[in-house]
Amino acid sequence: MIEILQWSTLSVCSALAVARIPSAVRGRNRSLFAIFVLATLAILLSIDEPYMAVDSWLGSENYANLILRFIIYVTVFLAGRGVAKAFDDSRALRRLTGPVGVGVLALIMLATVVLFLLADTAGSSTGLAALPGRSPENGLLIGFYAAAGRLYPAYVAVCLLPATLTAVTQSLPGAVRVGAALLSLGFFALILGMLFPVIPDSLGFLQPVINYTAVLALMAGLACIWIGRVLLRRAKPSLRAFTEK
Amino acid sequence: MPVPAKAFQRWLQGVAPSASMADISRISGIKRTTLAQQLVRGKVAESTLVSVSRAVGINPVTALAVFDTFADLRREPPLPRPEELVSQIATTDLLHAVIARSIPDDPGAPPAPQPPLIPAPHTTSVRNWVDAIDDGELRHRVSAATGIAPQNYSAQLTANRLTPELAIATAVAAGVAPTSGLVATGLITEEEAGWAPDARQRALARLSDGELASLAGDRLQAIGRTLRRQEQDHERTEKIWENLG
Repeated sequence: MIEILQWSTLSVCSALAVARIPSAVRGRNRSLFAIFVLATLAILLSIDEPYMAVDSWLGSENYANLILRFIIYVTVFLAGRGVAKAFDDSRALRRLTGPVGVGVLALIMLATVVLFLLADTAGSSTGLAALPGRSPENGLLIGFYAAAGRLYPAYVAVCLLPATLTAVTQSLPGAVRVGAALLSLGFFALILGMLFPVIPDSLGFLQPVINYTAVLALMAGLACIWIGRVLLRRAKPSLRAFTEK
Repeated sequence: MPVPAKAFQRWLQGVAPSASMADISRISGIKRTTLAQQLVRGKVAESTLVSVSRAVGINPVTALAVFDTFADLRREPPLPRPEELVSQIATTDLLHAVIARSIPDDPGAPPAPQPPLIPAPHTTSVRNWVDAIDDGELRHRVSAATGIAPQNYSAQLTANRLTPELAIATAVAAGVAPTSGLVATGLITEEEAGWAPDARQRALARLSDGELASLAGDRLQAIGRTLRRQEQDHERTEKIWENLG
């Protein structure tokens, strides 16, 4: 079940990245191309086989997981900046790219690196699943490391959710409103991610479901808005509409 | 509400007993598939009935009045009010009249001939008609009489649309000729509603300069408001596509 989710998410992300190549070549919103490529890489590193391959090449110390965290941070930052600009939310933009936003990101990145170095990370393990069980101390360190990794996406989501929810209700082209709704769903899932520590083990299957819902909803939301531009470009409103017969 | 297909076919038997469906579609200009589909679904659109009645040489008002939904059309209608006539003059024509009256008289030259008015309906004719007959409580009465929610009614007016049934209900609630509503919505022509060919022109001529100037001003203001809103939506959409398109 989870494998299906992983591979389908991977195919969606990579297809979007490929479809975005012509625009990237023309120089149109290259960050969108970067987002799709980085999301593809992030999904790849979440799947067992590619993770094992990459990590063994990096020395089997799970540095691939650390790289994965940074890929997620950069992807979320780029997507968040784009969404804040697009939906003209200057407050969200300041909270993401202003001193506060940069400070939050730097702090979380530092915490991620420090916790990773403190923990015993020897021996490749996808999603670090095998590491917390080694010792109570390691369990704690890896727990905080994972929490830090979810904190930044949740922070960005909290900043942007009001803007995307508002856009759903505004009179905008249908594809843009659907896109805004999907982005809102994705942000909501990212915020839900903060609740992972309190989800009981019996509901453990929810964790990947929430994660992949977030990725799929965000990518589909961005794609929807982009497709809307291609299909629905409208003429500028003019007086002619009131006089033409 | 469209008329029942059975009743439509009975009516057709009476007015064109020998005509086949193919004949009807040919003389009325309605696509055969459209006509067949409406008959199969059991509902014939009012516009179909109007086109067919024109094709067989019957006034659409007389044809509509045969059906119980449009029983209000059976009574001899009162003459259109001057406000209604003026409401069916396109804004461009009103502005032409403002300019024509603003030019100083040249005693030597003969008065310039008035160009014919653009035939009703115009781009804001439905809303202008309802505004012209509204005593302040009209929308209330229409929604009480027909059960339509006020916001749905307003939405139709904004879109310069009104179903024939609602147009007639509005006219009845305002105590004006039901046919006026069908003219404003474009279902029938002024002539078919029994308006004199120069009725609108004469109503325009009877407006004082002050009345004409304020009326044209009101129209421009309404158009300005609509355009400003459309421009804001357009700018917002462009901003979204500029950053995420």
